[in-house]
Amino acid sequence: MVDAVEPEYKEYAIEEFLVRSEPYYRPVGDELDLFTAAYNQHIPVLLKGPTGCGKTRFVEYMAWKLGRPMTVIRPDGSGGRPAQELREGEVRVPLVTIACHEDLTASDLVGRYLLDSEGTRWIDGPMTRAVKAGAILYLDEVVEARKDTTVLIHPLTDHRRILPVEKTGQIIEADDRFLLCISYNPHYQSALKDLKHSTRQRFISVEFDYPPADIEAEIVARESGCTTEQAVALAKLGEKVRNLRDHGLQEGASTRLLIYAGRLMREGIPARRACQVAIVWTLTDEVELQRSVEEVVSSIFE
Amino acid sequence: MSNAPFDEIEAELAKLPPAVLEVYREAAAAMESSFSSEELALWAKEGATIAGQTVRSWEAAVEYYRVGPLVARSLAFPSFMQWARCGTYLSQDSPTLAVSFFKASPAIVSNLRPQYIPRWAGLGRSLYKGTWKSSTLSARFFEVSPDLIRSLPFWDVEVFASLIEALSYKSYDVAVECLTLGRDVLPAMGREREAFLAMSRALSDGNWREVKSCLEMAPRALQQIEEGQTSRFLKLGERLTKVGIRDTARFLSDGSQALGQVPQGSQAHILDLCEGLLAVSPEAVPPFLKSLDGVLHRVTVNQLDTWFQHGVQLLKENPESGIAFFKVESNTSESLLETLSSSLELDRVKGVVRLYCRALSGSPIEVMNTHELVRRNIGWVDEDSASTDGTKVFLPPVVDHYQDKNENFSWFKVVATHQVGHLEFGSFAYDFGRPATQFEEERRFVLERERGLQQISDDVLVGDAEADGQVRSFTDIGRFLSLFDDRKLAFDLFTVLEDCRLDYRIKVEYPGIRRAAAAVQGDTLARRPEVEDLPLQEALVELLIKMSLDQFNSLPVPVDYKEEATMLARILHRLRTALANVEDTAEATLRAYEIISRLENETQPEDQWEPEDMDDPGEFSEEDFQSLLDKLQASQDSSGEGGEGDPYESPEPVDYRGDFKPEMVQLLTKLQMDQNQQGEGEPLSQEMLEQLLQDSAELELDAEQGDINNSMSTFAQNIMKEAGVPPPNSQPGQGYGPLLHDDDQGGELEAREPKAYVYDEWDFRANDYKPRWCVVKEKTLDEGDSGFYNDALKNYSSLLNHIKRQFELIMPETFRKIYRMVDGEDIDLNAALEAAADIRMKVPPDEKIYWRRNKIERNVSVVFLLDMSASTAEAIDEGRHTVDDRDAPDDPVEYMVWLRRRREGLVRRHYKRIIDLEKESTALLIQALESIGDNYGIYGFSGYGRENVEFYVIKDIEENFSERIKRRIDKITPLHATRMGSAIRHAITKLEHQDSPTKIMFLISDGRPQDRGYSREGVEKEYAVHDTHMALLEAKRKDITPFCLTVDKAGHDYLKEMCGDMGYEVLGEIWALPERLPMLYRQLTA
Repeated sequence: MVDAVEPEYKEYAIEEFLVRSEPYYRPVGDELDLFTAAYNQHIPVLLKGPTGCGKTRFVEYMAWKLGRPMTVIRPDGSGGRPAQELREGEVRVPLVTIACHEDLTASDLVGRYLLDSEGTRWIDGPMTRAVKAGAILYLDEVVEARKDTTVLIHPLTDHRRILPVEKTGQIIEADDRFLLCISYNPHYQSALKDLKHSTRQRFISVEFDYPPADIEAEIVARESGCTTEQAVALAKLGEKVRNLRDHGLQEGASTRLLIYAGRLMREGIPARRACQVAIVWTLTDEVELQRSVEEVVSSIFE
Repeated sequence: MSNAPFDEIEAELAKLPPAVLEVYREAAAAMESSFSSEELALWAKEGATIAGQTVRSWEAAVEYYRVGPLVARSLAFPSFMQWARCGTYLSQDSPTLAVSFFKASPAIVSNLRPQYIPRWAGLGRSLYKGTWKSSTLSARFFEVSPDLIRSLPFWDVEVFASLIEALSYKSYDVAVECLTLGRDVLPAMGREREAFLAMSRALSDGNWREVKSCLEMAPRALQQIEEGQTSRFLKLGERLTKVGIRDTARFLSDGSQALGQVPQGSQAHILDLCEGLLAVSPEAVPPFLKSLDGVLHRVTVNQLDTWFQHGVQLLKENPESGIAFFKVESNTSESLLETLSSSLELDRVKGVVRLYCRALSGSPIEVMNTHELVRRNIGWVDEDSASTDGTKVFLPPVVDHYQDKNENFSWFKVVATHQVGHLEFGSFAYDFGRPATQFEEERRFVLERERGLQQISDDVLVGDAEADGQVRSFTDIGRFLSLFDDRKLAFDLFTVLEDCRLDYRIKVEYPGIRRAAAAVQGDTLARRPEVEDLPLQEALVELLIKMSLDQFNSLPVPVDYKEEATMLARILHRLRTALANVEDTAEATLRAYEIISRLENETQPEDQWEPEDMDDPGEFSEEDFQSLLDKLQASQDSSGEGGEGDPYESPEPVDYRGDFKPEMVQLLTKLQMDQNQQGEGEPLSQEMLEQLLQDSAELELDAEQGDINNSMSTFAQNIMKEAGVPPPNSQPGQGYGPLLHDDDQGGELEAREPKAYVYDEWDFRANDYKPRWCVVKEKTLDEGDSGFYNDALKNYSSLLNHIKRQFELIMPETFRKIYRMVDGEDIDLNAALEAAADIRMKVPPDEKIYWRRNKIERNVSVVFLLDMSASTAEAIDEGRHTVDDRDAPDDPVEYMVWLRRRREGLVRRHYKRIIDLEKESTALLIQALESIGDNYGIYGFSGYGRENVEFYVIKDIEENFSERIKRRIDKITPLHATRMGSAIRHAITKLEHQDSPTKIMFLISDGRPQDRGYSREGVEKEYAVHDTHMALLEAKRKDITPFCLTVDKAGHDYLKEMCGDMGYEVLGEIWALPERLPMLYRQLTA
């Protein structure tokens, strides 16, 4: 019998969540420089790209990367910030991620009054906390959110960098390290859910796409731990399947799915089967498409 | 009033057994209200007459009196007396008959028109032949009559009675049994009853015993058969019976079972086949139906035709073996099925193969069958070889190389992969100037200089230049091949070597296909000719082919030419690397050519061959090659020019690799490109093109004897057309794209009149839109009378109230804040106070203390599209079983005419039609919509042909409701066909301009979309469904929610395809439409 294992989980306050260990991110272009420059210049960033191509990983990586050099620079006083939030000489760039959905209202982001025994108590929403803590606020799939939330973004993203909190009658000026970053997948938005230009033009846009086959193979090998040949074949499969994007498939196989397939293979699942469950069946329910993708799989894998 | 006649009668009756008088008195009392006393006297007297006829006829009189009051309720006195006299006559023959007649009467007279009563009595009488058995039968007939007459038209009763009579000549017992069965079975039948009776009638003349089993069988059997086909099926049975085929009952059961198993919608086709077979040999029909199920398990309906035709042919030659064939008891039949069932039709896997090719190549490749390519007549002539023209992959329509479907599919896959390989690995991207990677020396330049050909810059053709060399160099491949004297040999070598490179590359890139490819190669190898039988040059080419097919061991090599063979093997091995490109193939071709062309094409003696392994012939080196070449040249010089070799013949093509025509592909691509960027340089003239084709090795191979020049110019014209170059003397502006569909020729349309709009149409075979294909003409519907509208509201007043209430319920919830939510925008003060109080009192508070604004304010725009096609004129079967012939004429002659006309469906009944219900529903809906204030438009659509899609405005979306709209509804009538796609597209345009967040398109139809050139039998049917599907998708993309409601019960099969994941409903009961429509709408928007 195994001893009862203590459940292992960690709990953080939203604004205290730090990316502590270096996440794996393989740069494809100049996106690291772009993001760093934008961060230093307080320019909000819009990440465009299909699902599973590494947007979220990129933000995580940047949060980690931006946090570290500052441990060197900021305590020296060059940043000119009060040191109250620093602990043991570390500058933290917390990462607050919010997955947007169509019911997400402004008060979900800003905060609301709660009842307690004494009456009401105001509680900050995640956006407010991120603004106060100087975090990177990452709004994932921002177009999914209700229209009123996008209005909140506006004063935060121009020179003012403020968050008006209507209900408490306050205005919060953002911490110097605060950066708003949103992501958006141009492929499956309907015309109606498109971002308004007044919102869009407050960001610089970094385009992401699936990496070229050789880099993708590297990523798949590294992330999944499968063999190089398998990774190369998976990358080839990814490339071929993405060719079908405008011929019935809504989305091509994401790098994430390729990695899943690689992981299954590493666990000893036969290659064709792994691709079937990780890629073919995930991508589509249409029988003919499934069959076609399976034929591609069975051509590439023995 | 005098009682004298009554007393007299009573006195008379008193002589009879007492029961008579008793019943009479009772009845007389009950009758008084119905008839006058004179009439009553007549009635009473008739009873006395009946009673007085024979010894036992008093029993009939009892019955007569007993039912009198009941019958009198339904009949006027003259008819009543007619009825009574019928009984009298019957009782003359047999009191038993009369008793049964009277007993059945009360139930009959209320359902039968009075003038038929004598005929009915006559039917019973005709069954009576004076014997005891016949009187039982006849009495039985009267007994079952009420059931029959209630549910059958009288005509059918008559036919049935005559059937029974016919049977009674054979056996009374059987007749009685059938009579009873008929009563149970016939009422449940619909239109097929007539056919069934006709069949039974045919039976009764011959195998009369079977009538009974047919009756027993029928209900279960006919269930299996699609409505509308039953009559044909029974008719078939009748014809079989008439030609003397026994076992009709077996036919019914086997046949219906077989038909029940066939794929939906193909019963009609099977019946076609049966009818065809009947004409050839009736005996074959039952076995055919019997084996049908088994056969269809193995082959598709399409393949069934092949099998069937073969059988028919056999039948004509030898009836015995034909029948065995249809029983699947012959080898021919069995092996044909075997072949058919394992063969694979391209059409069935086309979709998969197409996507597969697209995935591999990354370009929108189309997959077509090779017949299509040959039909275009641009130089490809082989119907069975796969090929590609650079944008399409052509595959043979059927594969039956193997006994197994999967293997046949693998073959398709290997072939398709090879063809796509040409694109993926750049066979057609050959560039004369690009360096090869595997060969150090660029010998082509050397050769070109040697031959003194000018080097011409790639694509610009200077006019007036010397024709030959320059025209040949129009493409890079052409330029390369023009380096050689023997272009045929050069081209064959290029083909083999390029295919070798591709097959190797494919095996590297696609390890998964290796096994299948190896199997195909193995089979191909087995079919190759023996190298030893060929003259030297051809033998060496064949050796290369074998090596390209992965055979390297024990290759027969001529002893004297071992060095040459080894050098060829080395050259070939250079291409067996993933890095080799098409330029390498060219260099390899050049080297192989240099060797082979210097040899005499002579057959080598049999003993001059030795097996040799060539899997590792050593590295190729330019020095060795040059020294071999020098040696060959020397020996050639010494022997002089007079070599006695046979002329070189091309090798047998390698079947799975198909037709490789790189020059043609480059030519087509180039022509197309030139076409797109006009003005750059002189375009190729037709003469030049012909010259070019004449020189091309690719065509030389295929040109059949006959007028080559003529076919060249045809090719040239077709190629130009294919490439989109307008031929001389043509008006510009006509479409020259590849016209793949002859069936609906023509080009784009223009909207010439006001309120006409042009829309694209989706062609699912081309997987693309046909541009500007349909013209939608918008018209405002004429105004009629508002009476229809008002009547509809009146007729459905209770339903209308209900609907209105339901709709009003939607209203208030829309603009309200929702209180007492677990989560929300802000605290709901009331709830919060209560909760705070609870907390103070140490009671667990309710946690629902927030309010939230409802996220949707009702702002809906909706368009209703009504199907106004001709089929909506169809009357609705009201589902009543009683025969409604109240309006039938009384005169028998007229009646017969009326009946016949009615049967032919020529009499317009005052039945409701589908469109009437559509109209009524619209009226109700308008009321409902007005009550909630949604923005709505109502349109009807119909039309004929793509030039004339009619779109009728009943209420435009921007129009306000008014009397005029009520009047327009009256004018909604069934018109022509249904081209749904274009109508939907026009409705989208209407909705697009609305700024409501919720937009809905509601389509109400009565069947599948069809129109001229839009839906025909076979594939065409799908065309319409696909176009409609695409139109609905377009709506969805524009954020319009489409919903289809159909009253076609057979709607499930195509609606699923047509609507995909979009909403639809098939209304099982058309009567529910007025109720269902508003409710559906409510659900959709609430």
